[in-house]
Amino acid sequence: MIPALAHIADASPRGRGGVRSLARRTADAIGHAVAEVLENDELAGGPGLMQALDPRVKLASILVFAVTASFVHSLPVLVVLVLATMGLAAASGVSVVSFSVKVWSSAGLFALLACAPSATAWITPGPVLIPLGPLSITAPGLLIAARLVARVIAGAGFGLLVIWTTRWTDLLRALSALGVPDLVVATLAMTQKQIMSLLRTVENMHLARESRMLSTGSARENRGWVVDRMAFVARRSMKTADDVYDAMLARGFSGSMPSLVDLRATARDWAWMAAGVATSVLVLGIDRTVFPT
Amino acid sequence: MTAEFVLSGAGHSYGPAIRALDGIDLTVEAGEHVAVVGANGSGKSTLLKMLDGLAFCTSGTITAAGRPLTEEALEDPAFRREFRSRVGFVFQDADVQLFCNTVFDELAFGPLQLGLDHEDVRSRVAEVAASLRIERLLDRAPYTLSGGEKKRVAIASVLTMRPQVLLMDEPTNALDPRSQVWLLDVLDEWKRAGRTVVIATHDLSAAAESCDRMIVLSEEHRVVADGTPEEVLAQRDLLLGVNLIHQHSHRHGADRHVHPHAHEHEHA
Amino acid sequence: MHIPDGYLGPQTYAVLDAAIVPIWMIAGARIKKALKARQVPLMALAAAFSFVTMMFNVPVLGGSTGHAVGAVLIAILLGPWAAVVAVSIALVVQALVFADGGITAIGANVVNMAVIMPFTGFYLYRLVAGDRPGHGRRIVAAGIGAYVGIVAASIAAGVEFGLQPLLAHTASGQPLYAPYPLAVAVPAMALEHMLFFGPLEAVVTMGIVAVLARQDSALLEMKPAAKPLRWLWGALAGLILLTPIGVLSPGTAWGEWSAAQLKSVLGYVPTGLGKVGSLWTASVPAYAPPFIANPLVGYLVAAVLGSALVVGVTWVVGKLLSRKDDTPAPTGPPSDAA
Repeated sequence: MIPALAHIADASPRGRGGVRSLARRTADAIGHAVAEVLENDELAGGPGLMQALDPRVKLASILVFAVTASFVHSLPVLVVLVLATMGLAAASGVSVVSFSVKVWSSAGLFALLACAPSATAWITPGPVLIPLGPLSITAPGLLIAARLVARVIAGAGFGLLVIWTTRWTDLLRALSALGVPDLVVATLAMTQKQIMSLLRTVENMHLARESRMLSTGSARENRGWVVDRMAFVARRSMKTADDVYDAMLARGFSGSMPSLVDLRATARDWAWMAAGVATSVLVLGIDRTVFPT
Repeated sequence: MTAEFVLSGAGHSYGPAIRALDGIDLTVEAGEHVAVVGANGSGKSTLLKMLDGLAFCTSGTITAAGRPLTEEALEDPAFRREFRSRVGFVFQDADVQLFCNTVFDELAFGPLQLGLDHEDVRSRVAEVAASLRIERLLDRAPYTLSGGEKKRVAIASVLTMRPQVLLMDEPTNALDPRSQVWLLDVLDEWKRAGRTVVIATHDLSAAAESCDRMIVLSEEHRVVADGTPEEVLAQRDLLLGVNLIHQHSHRHGADRHVHPHAHEHEHA
Repeated sequence: MHIPDGYLGPQTYAVLDAAIVPIWMIAGARIKKALKARQVPLMALAAAFSFVTMMFNVPVLGGSTGHAVGAVLIAILLGPWAAVVAVSIALVVQALVFADGGITAIGANVVNMAVIMPFTGFYLYRLVAGDRPGHGRRIVAAGIGAYVGIVAASIAAGVEFGLQPLLAHTASGQPLYAPYPLAVAVPAMALEHMLFFGPLEAVVTMGIVAVLARQDSALLEMKPAAKPLRWLWGALAGLILLTPIGVLSPGTAWGEWSAAQLKSVLGYVPTGLGKVGSLWTASVPAYAPPFIANPLVGYLVAAVLGSALVVGVTWVVGKLLSRKDDTPAPTGPPSDAA
């Protein structure tokens, strides 16, 4: 997804226009978005409802929430779920406005664009709400689209909240504690670093190129350059990967990544899980009985 | 007393075409400080990796403390643990070596892999952090550190395993002057503690200052000189021949001055 | 073609989530054998590359999203099973980092992008490249493999969406999840990838292979062909069974589907399949239970036969290729070299 769409508005200098420049700003924005999420120590370390929970519990919660949302059929209940995520955001010290903007402008926008045609008479015939010829918005169409978008936003919002309030290292420990094989967790840990390093390299490549080139170059040149740079990055990264592995071996790595911190679930975590499951059951009950479809 | 390392006819090739080391005969005794010098591509790094069991002989043999150092030997968990804790490797690029999320984790990684219990691990980390004066960095993420700090953390991450042998690849590379002095002090300390040190470098002056033995690798990947730094550095023609130093010449009127010297940094 | 949560209903995602467990286990075992001990940083790098590539995506009207994946490139460099693991990890990171999806949809995404794409692409690459390809041929093979791989995956994704209105809808027939029928979802995803993302994927793959081949051909040494038997049958069977299992959801009685209903939902009944369907109906003996005579069953049988044909051909080709790689031809099934 391109959270960049949320960032492009505040992407720095409105410099020379053109597709390439836009592409670069998009790339930068994406890079910053990813970096922001992967290095979220400030928010994750602060006080708040979600921050205080055991990461294993939070991971399980994402699944419970997503599954619950997937079973809900009625739009009103889905909207309630969306509101619930905003409430949790507030309780965790996250600005509800910035949270909502982020979710709506990325996951929400994408879902909206993807399912927009289904709101029209072309896909979903029915009583017309907004006459636009063959693309008129119909009542049933709007309902279908709204349902999808609401479900996506609810799930995305909850997930994002968990990610924002959990340190990446804690997430990995939680995965390990939940039974994910050590090698996979080790790979995930390293993947995060590789992603950051790749993004930085891409950024530097762009900067280096822009500082060298006076003209924009032909399309073919550009493509050739991009591919060449990608191959360079690939080769260099493979060498680095080898070196990192050597470094791990040299310090005794033999396949597992033991860690010092012991995750301990507290009463609060159990209460949260119980509340979560109870709420899910309640929500589904209401969905089926009060709003049958 | 068994030598720390014995190489006999050791060679290493990457595939049939690329030879990195050719017929090396070498013995390193415990407590020695050895500098392996040579131009880029002469095989210094490969030699170091072979000493640490990260690369293996494709010809010849190598033993560490009397035991053959082969891939199979390292598959035995007991030998691997013993070897990895006895021999430490400080990489040229500190970033490669700092793969954990916090400096504390970095220092704890080695001892944890060795199977020490948590209390021991914590005390070792505290001890090493204090001796290298990086306590205030323990909670930081490695990528936020400066070059000098990264080097300290890299070295610390190896020291928590309490190695007897330290292998260092281009240790003074990319270090600012103050850090370089600090490093030389650390090497002095290790000498007094009786640790064995093998350094791969092209920094001749640092090598001469900290080591009591210098080995020169030629561009043909062979040992061409082995002696005290004074002896080796006196062989100017040899050093020229292996591309470790070069001569500049310029004219003053009718005179020509010839200056042989080495650079701290290699030419690209 | 990344699918966020909310697009697929429980009947679909549950089946696919279950299907990937054995796939991941097999992939893990295969990698341990083939790549020895060096896999962690390499996997991480490949996963990171795939992740960064997938970040650049756009919404597809009528589908979900479109983007390049890099799965076939990874399969060419590290082997198809390594691609399964690397792309899976990229998808997991994407789900956790961007949190816009695929926690419940992870099964579908893995099946599409981490299984269908790399295997299809890799086998096609091997097929076109042959035993000891020249520089040009290798590049073309990589491009073809990448193109077909991503298109195949996008079609699978389109099918997964397109089935949603069939599988889960309100009493009045409105879709509860992805709102497009097969007739819209499959063409939308397929066309978008055939016209845009397929060429993009092919160009990127070809470009990188070209540069790597020039500078470091050791990387491109042919990886041993994977043995496709067990997992392929399992996964394929799972996918094919998808429809009838979904049809068993409350409110839709099995066997009540007729060609008319099918037509109203699909938009059309593919004429070829229609013929097969009637052939099937005609050949069913009178004493058979009524549901067997149903044209939908005929449709499924045709799907199974068709898939079996494709799989069979691919497997035979793969077997022949790996037999060529081995030293004395084995009398039994091809050995998994390394």
